[in-house]
Amino acid sequence: MKKLMIISVLSFCTGLLFANDKYEKAMQANIDAIYNAQSPEQIQAAINSFERIGAAEKSKWEPFYYASFGYVMMSTRELDGTKKDLLLDKATEGLNKAKAIRADESEIVALEGFVYMMRVTVDPATRGQQYSGMAMQTFGKALSLNPNNPRAMALLAQMEFGTAQFFKAPTTSACEKATKSLEMFESYKSENALAPAWGKESAMRVLKQCN
Amino acid sequence: MKAAIFLILFFVSLFTFGQATISGVVKDEKGEAIPGANVSVEGTYDGASTELDGHFRFVTAETGEQVLSITFVGYKSFTQTIQLNGQDIELQVVLKEAINQLDAVVISAGSFTAGEEKRRTILKAVDIATTAGATADIAGALNTLPGTQKVGESGRLFVRGGDGSETRTFIDGMMVLNAYGAAAPNTPSRGRFMPFMFKGTSFSTGGYSAEYGQALSSALVLDSKDKADINQTDIGLLSVGGDVAHTQVWDRSSVSGKVQYTNIRPYFGLINQEVDWIKPPVSLEGSGAFRQQVGDHGIVKLYGNFNRSDFSLYQHDILNPVQVKAFEYKNNYGYGNASFLQSIGNRWTARGGFSYNYNEDDVVLDGGPMGQIEKGTHTKFVFENSVSDQVELRFGAEHINISYEASRLDSLSIQQVLKFNNPITAAFMEAEAYASKQFVARAGIRSEYIGLEEKISIDPRVSVAYKPFEQGQFSLAYGRFRQTPQNQYLRVNNKLAEEVAEHYILNYQVINNNRTFRTEVYYKKYLKLVKFVNGNPGQLTNSGTGYARGFELFWRDSESVKNLDYWVSYSYLDTERDYLNFPVTSTPTFASRHNFSVVGKRFVSAIKSQFGITYSYSSPRVYNNPNEEIFNGGRTPAYQDLSFNVAYLPKPFLIIYVSATNLLGHDNIFGYEFSETPDSNGTYVSRAIRQPAPRFLFLGVFFTISKNKSINQLPNL
Repeated sequence: MKKLMIISVLSFCTGLLFANDKYEKAMQANIDAIYNAQSPEQIQAAINSFERIGAAEKSKWEPFYYASFGYVMMSTRELDGTKKDLLLDKATEGLNKAKAIRADESEIVALEGFVYMMRVTVDPATRGQQYSGMAMQTFGKALSLNPNNPRAMALLAQMEFGTAQFFKAPTTSACEKATKSLEMFESYKSENALAPAWGKESAMRVLKQCN
Repeated sequence: MKAAIFLILFFVSLFTFGQATISGVVKDEKGEAIPGANVSVEGTYDGASTELDGHFRFVTAETGEQVLSITFVGYKSFTQTIQLNGQDIELQVVLKEAINQLDAVVISAGSFTAGEEKRRTILKAVDIATTAGATADIAGALNTLPGTQKVGESGRLFVRGGDGSETRTFIDGMMVLNAYGAAAPNTPSRGRFMPFMFKGTSFSTGGYSAEYGQALSSALVLDSKDKADINQTDIGLLSVGGDVAHTQVWDRSSVSGKVQYTNIRPYFGLINQEVDWIKPPVSLEGSGAFRQQVGDHGIVKLYGNFNRSDFSLYQHDILNPVQVKAFEYKNNYGYGNASFLQSIGNRWTARGGFSYNYNEDDVVLDGGPMGQIEKGTHTKFVFENSVSDQVELRFGAEHINISYEASRLDSLSIQQVLKFNNPITAAFMEAEAYASKQFVARAGIRSEYIGLEEKISIDPRVSVAYKPFEQGQFSLAYGRFRQTPQNQYLRVNNKLAEEVAEHYILNYQVINNNRTFRTEVYYKKYLKLVKFVNGNPGQLTNSGTGYARGFELFWRDSESVKNLDYWVSYSYLDTERDYLNFPVTSTPTFASRHNFSVVGKRFVSAIKSQFGITYSYSSPRVYNNPNEEIFNGGRTPAYQDLSFNVAYLPKPFLIIYVSATNLLGHDNIFGYEFSETPDSNGTYVSRAIRQPAPRFLFLGVFFTISKNKSINQLPNL
């Protein structure tokens, strides 16, 4: 009887271990796919995979985060305002699911700010005031949750740079933030193997315009 | 031995044998392939995305009974139970289009909506604040839309041959009485509610939902903003006063307050005015709002506004202008409303609220005091049920109580009081059903019990909309609407019945790529209007009648020229009434046959400024000249106005704003007053009703203090 107990416990644990391994493997494959996707179809396929994993793994925030990230990526390539809004609606849907699992994750909050930033681009004249304020505030919140989050800093730099350019104001503060975010990208280490790793290029793009 | 069995079991639990291939094709109802759809075995990682030709194929190691689901944006999800026993499965799936998408038909007859978030709207919330000539007044901006008439001496919304009192304002569904501030006789009043408070505005020029009662011609439905997101303090220094506002935000709630002081005295000192002021208007206004989120989707909103204003002036006798009477006026106003919205489960939503209105006017005319007090309460509950994706049901009940008292001292210094208390109870029910993405119908019924009249009324409201093409759509609406007569008549005869209007509207609208074209034809029939018996204002009946008919055109384009946004409105109106003191059927004095306006806005980034320009034209209005035989036989000159504004943003948190109305200084005459008695030659002497000043100039400097320096008050201007 004892043996039986030990074996079932063992079996259960291995099962869990394998399951976790399966989760990470599947996620890693799709994370690679989404970073390297060339076309909207490839992004959509990766999003679909994340959504499937998310539906099966009810306690993981990463699948919804990456699905949402995929929609934000698609929105950056979309030119039609209505379609862009639809994609951002889908991104928000994913973020809400991720937030329901993990409310205080800095990465989720930073991506939320990215969504607001993209909302501005649909109709800058009427949305600029409202959404740029919300984006800035959300990036600030992401940084207060994790002061070392390089993506939050890079996005904040990008937003500040755009605003300063619009008002023909000095871009010094935005450029300092871009430089700081690059340093943060260098030193950033996460315990989570599935942690996001994007965003460095956008900080470099801002910095290029600074010089 | 036992151990071996367990070991085998253990491995079986990890590696299942017998894999199955699931493949197939996903198409829409027209047989077109759907690429990118997500096919999955629910609760597992197994699945695939459909290819460009709609095909999919994947291998699953799952066994037994499973659920296969297919999802794609804009389509209803498809699910099917499948048996997995190592056998391959092939499926042909047709996804049905989901209806409540952005491109579905909507009922557009009679209504203009302005919102931040909704994309297929004709106006945006910010448009109300940035329209030149509107001076940040909601009614002023809506007056550039078709269906409205410019009535310069009133400032209210006159819709399709209806007078200003026939437009009812609602805030978060709750009724507002006295929605306009105090103004001297024959000078325009401003709306009491600032446009920046609202996230959405729905302005209906007819055929509105059964939810809205006590409005004969038009419903102006304002949705206040939800919880604020940013802490900020706003300071405004105006040429006519100043204001301070502050917003404080918490995780689930926000509070904001604003105090505004307006004193036109220094301004009147500079610019010649038509009115002979003793003491020009001074007003102190405060408003506050509280928002609390409740649960996942619920919100409770509280809003309060008070206003105190006073002025005095000399009224000059028409026959002998040197002879004057002093007219002193004080107004005290308070409005409070509490409303809530809460979803109950997936399908039900409950909303409702309570509002309280208080308005007190005190007048001293030539030493004789008179005044009136109106108090109103409104309680309302509405339930909404999404029966399915295609059908929505809405029903609710409300109770309105209006108590009114007017008093004055007669020539013997005896106080004369006229008063009434009118409780109104109403219930409504409405269903909206989509037959397809192309066709939607809404049918509603509204029943009211009027306490004073002691009668029950039942009114139908029906609309349908059909979208035969990808872009354009037709709407038809019919409804019967009613409203209790104005206080000044009801106080004379408490038994007066409600006035009634029937609307018939046909609308065609295309919205495509930031261009909107819209045209509407309507017919409105008035019944039971208040009428004086033999011209005696002390004897009132409901025997008046009238009609209004016309057509309207609207074009807006923010696409063709970069950074330029403009719209053009034209309204044709033919209306006649036999009501009040009219001896014969005639066009009322507030109606003009042709109304035309052009509004343009352009942001010039090189100088960080937004420019706005508005031109309005109204054709001549009738007036009654007692020297002529024909009733309402006189014609005023046409009305014209060219207004301009500019907002300059030197810093993200600072705005300098200048606006000017009637740049060309056109001498607009709205009508004529005549002496009560003829002069020595036997003619009645006339005096033109003009604008209080040929131009109104306004200068303001607005600062915003927040942690984030890029926020400013532009959306509020």
